[in-house]
Amino acid sequence: MAAPGSHRVPPWRRIDGTTVFFVLLALATGGATWWLHGPGAFADTLLRALGLLAWIAPVLLGALLVGAYVQRLLPRATMERWLGGRSGLRGLTVATVAGAVTPGGPFAAFPLVVALYRAGASVEVCIAYVTAWSVLGINRALIWELPFLGPDFVLLRLLVSLPLPFLAGGLSRLLRRPPT
Amino acid sequence: MMTLIAYGTIALLLGITSALAHRRATTRHRDVAADAWVQLQPLLLRLPPALLAGVFLAGLVPEQQVVGLLGEASGAYGVLLATVIGGILPGGPMIAFPLALALLEAGMGVAQMVTLITAWSVLALHRVLVFEAPMMGWRFAGRRLLASLPVAPAAGFLTLAAETVLAG
Repeated sequence: MAAPGSHRVPPWRRIDGTTVFFVLLALATGGATWWLHGPGAFADTLLRALGLLAWIAPVLLGALLVGAYVQRLLPRATMERWLGGRSGLRGLTVATVAGAVTPGGPFAAFPLVVALYRAGASVEVCIAYVTAWSVLGINRALIWELPFLGPDFVLLRLLVSLPLPFLAGGLSRLLRRPPT
Repeated sequence: MMTLIAYGTIALLLGITSALAHRRATTRHRDVAADAWVQLQPLLLRLPPALLAGVFLAGLVPEQQVVGLLGEASGAYGVLLATVIGGILPGGPMIAFPLALALLEAGMGVAQMVTLITAWSVLALHRVLVFEAPMMGWRFAGRRLLASLPVAPAAGFLTLAAETVLAG
């Protein structure tokens, strides 16, 4: 996300809780590996982790650039125009496609949902969008899932996930409270 | 092969998006690179220790228990168990994917893993508490969660069906 007010931070200030957590977890699990399986297993695992890191670095870099391009090419206003006021199967389909191509974390997706909701998009469409962004989000699949779990897994998971936004959207329609 | 597919997919998408952006006068490649750099910065420090922890964890996970509870043979019961685990698994992708790698290598079934990742993505209780409920209100969040409950098992059962078809 382009943080408009971002200013230069010295590198040590970027060491936040998450980073500390992972460093401690890596030390603990590394220590346990040494202790339980011996230094040979420790060295093997360390080499494997470094190999994986070298392998995923280019994927990560490329996927971040793709996400940044998509964000510039599809500004929020365009997405809102696509989704606003649509409903039914057509609305769910558009919401599914829009959710799948929305890059970035919840701080990118939820403001769009809020805007849509306020602009009068139906709850089904909003829920289908959130579901599609969660399970079909191409950006996250590329950055995280592909390097860790491999293309076969990602492809299979995306394929079986295609009907899910329709399922959640359709079910949410049934959950509507009867008018009082 | 896996490397070729992964790198090829990224290169193709990058080619398409940058070509589209190139045709637009308002989109500058330099701005896009700056956006990506902003997103990359926090990962530079976090990713190496997260990955190390994930790979070390993979070697420590008790394989027999994982295979027993969530292996291929666990079937529908494993899918339901994976839904519960995925729903309460906290944290972002940095925690979930190294853990998923560890579990998959320990012998977790593919359908059960698809279920776990789907449950973690759609239910994401931490995300509901931090983003969804404050921004959308509890009524929307509650309705979405309720409508999403069957989504993860559906993904798992679809995977089981796909595996049967592919195997048969």
